[in-house]
Amino acid sequence: MNESWKSYPAGGFFDELITPQGQPRAAARGVVRLLQKLPGNEMAERRAAAELAIREMGISFTVYNEAGNIDRAWPFDIIPRVISARQWQAVSDGLRQRSLALNHFIDDIYNRQKILADGVVPADIVLESTNFKPQCMGMSPRFGVWAHVCGSDLVRDGDGRFRVLEDNLRVPSGVSYMLENREITKRVLPELFENYSILPVDDYPSQLYQTLASLSPRERRRPCIVVLTPGIFNSAYFEHAYLAQGMGAELVEGRDLMVADDNCVYMRTVDGPVRVDVIYRRIDEEFMDPEAFRPESLLGVAGLMRAWKAGNVAIANAPGSGVADDKVIYAFVPDMIRYYLKQKPLLASVPTWLCMREKDREHVLKNLDQLVVKPANESGGYGIMVGPHSSAAVRRKFARLIEKNPRNYVAQPTLALSTAPTYIDDKVEPRHLDLRPFILQGRETWVTPGGLTRVALTRGSLVVNSSQGGGSKDTWIVEGKA
Amino acid sequence: MTMLSSVAERLYWMGRYLERAEDSARLVAAYNHLIMDIPRAAELGWDVLIRILDAEPLFYQHYRVGNEQNVLRFLLAEQDSSASIPFAVRWARENVRTTRDVLPEETWEQINELHLYVSDAAEKSVGRRNRQAFLEEVISRCQRVNGMLSSSLPRDHAHRFLRLGHLLERSDMTTRLMDVGTGEILKRNGTHEAIDPLIWTSLLQALSSFGAYRRMIGPLVEAQQVLEFVFQEPLLPRSVAFCLAEIRAELKPLNNHEKAMRTLARGRRKLGKLQPEHMSREALHAYIDEFQALLADLHDAITASWFQPDTP
Repeated sequence: MNESWKSYPAGGFFDELITPQGQPRAAARGVVRLLQKLPGNEMAERRAAAELAIREMGISFTVYNEAGNIDRAWPFDIIPRVISARQWQAVSDGLRQRSLALNHFIDDIYNRQKILADGVVPADIVLESTNFKPQCMGMSPRFGVWAHVCGSDLVRDGDGRFRVLEDNLRVPSGVSYMLENREITKRVLPELFENYSILPVDDYPSQLYQTLASLSPRERRRPCIVVLTPGIFNSAYFEHAYLAQGMGAELVEGRDLMVADDNCVYMRTVDGPVRVDVIYRRIDEEFMDPEAFRPESLLGVAGLMRAWKAGNVAIANAPGSGVADDKVIYAFVPDMIRYYLKQKPLLASVPTWLCMREKDREHVLKNLDQLVVKPANESGGYGIMVGPHSSAAVRRKFARLIEKNPRNYVAQPTLALSTAPTYIDDKVEPRHLDLRPFILQGRETWVTPGGLTRVALTRGSLVVNSSQGGGSKDTWIVEGKA
Repeated sequence: MTMLSSVAERLYWMGRYLERAEDSARLVAAYNHLIMDIPRAAELGWDVLIRILDAEPLFYQHYRVGNEQNVLRFLLAEQDSSASIPFAVRWARENVRTTRDVLPEETWEQINELHLYVSDAAEKSVGRRNRQAFLEEVISRCQRVNGMLSSSLPRDHAHRFLRLGHLLERSDMTTRLMDVGTGEILKRNGTHEAIDPLIWTSLLQALSSFGAYRRMIGPLVEAQQVLEFVFQEPLLPRSVAFCLAEIRAELKPLNNHEKAMRTLARGRRKLGKLQPEHMSREALHAYIDEFQALLADLHDAITASWFQPDTP
């Protein structure tokens, strides 16, 4: 066995590739056997090859600090994560169901608000949320779909069960890294692909194109689609450029667009104004249109909301979609599934205490050292307290925060997140991970086979965000047995 | 396929900065030769380079005296002065970074290498020992990028706007170079006519056109003939006439080109009016100034027509 794999600790957390008895799981057998058989330095050599490929392919993300913006090479672990197709099918069905229900909910909220009238979801938590945008009332986008691109974060608990941790419905990112991770693995571990039937991921840009094209207000063979980016200093600019190129769409900034007197959106080109049919928006809605939202925004396009409400342009995700992307609303998604679809939820979520409810709050305050506390409304892993890893001072601070603004906090049990073998220095060690699949919804619904696996590279850490030292892995959905 | 105005603008500037880096290197290299050839009495100063580039205010913010050391540091090593070679290279690179998707794949790699070379080598190149090698390397790396682009970039809008920037910058730098020869900028009176042929020869060399001049005009280097050759020779790729003709060819197929075409026509008429044998040094210098103002108008017309289009 390759030196680096010796003494891999089995047991403890649920491990995705290795059983508690130290044997590879069925779907992962080929990968593990091959890597364990690599002679001497080859693990290190393959990793060096991956790092070189990343530099050559120019895969980077931007980190902000006092010294300015730095483009950092993408942190990648060469050992893929393997999931069987049969298991994935169930997750995929659950994600599809969830995304349908969420879109029903958003459409209902901005129209008849039946679910509030029926008391299934308390009206005040929706209508008083900062994510509820009254500007969107009365809109009904095509197919009743608001969140066309949804990135849901999944984790596996101590029993290996997939659970949804949150749904990102505003501007979820990371999909380009999912695609690049596969490219890197193909380059550095090509022999793995010989004996496996791995579901391909690389048609994502064309699926995204079809989803967006189905939204076009004008019937045209090739609608004009643009990707709206905040600009080259945004941390996800690489991805914006990648997707625009993959779809053959224009990558635009706010100043490239304008809304004319006819309430249509045009892009400024050297041949004069060209009408835009669909905007794939990678800019927060707050900054999207200074006329409708923050007046000081320089990134947006004045009049965009007007054009959208007049039905002259489709925006994905639709403004206002964030109303369902809130950690308080999250707790009600199973109820939404039962309410709108008359179905049982297929995918588990995580038990959630809402601090706005007196009984829940008491429980949370009493058990701060065991719970994970999250602000209702932040992303990127910011403002989170992990109870068992926190100091007494931090817990006191959170207790004050919760009492001051209970609506803004939820708490969940600290999950025993699954691990997977990860190559750290010269040893393979278990590290915690999560998974972000992407769900596309337009005329049809489509789920990525797998998604972006993020891994916390620090021992014991549960924080997987790349801005905070997380890495990533290629994710395989494999058919049959290998 | 149309093109976003903002992308067109970046390509145009990429073309300008790349040409500016190359031409600045040519200018300094030629001057470097010249100054070694001429007798001390001529008292040519290095600050001439600063005047050619219209960079006096900027220069004197940073330096008190226009001596060799300071001028070359300003032009070759100063990262942040807009007249320096590293500055031009950095902005050429920045404009490629944000237009990578419309350029051949190697463009980014090559311009990135040029940038790395200049940032590494610039500081050491201020002294006389490494100077010439540095300038030659910059010139040849710029040529490599241009050669790659001209052999693989489709002749669509990307090529067109890149080329417009390139040609406009080249016309501008060429006329600046000719201004050295008129003598006005050298601030000397007509007492050193003996060194004139040396000056004109080095100017032709800076344009890689000395050989062409000898073949097409003859071995005697004379002010009037050099001026006519460099401004009006339609077959010489670095001549102003050639650049303007090419600009015209690029503008013609564009929509909304009326304003730029009118400005260009003014430039071409002006070009026809150059008659060096009937013009004094002062008149020539004034002529070149006016010509540069015309090029600035052309730049404005291009900006207004394609980079800042009006609302419909």
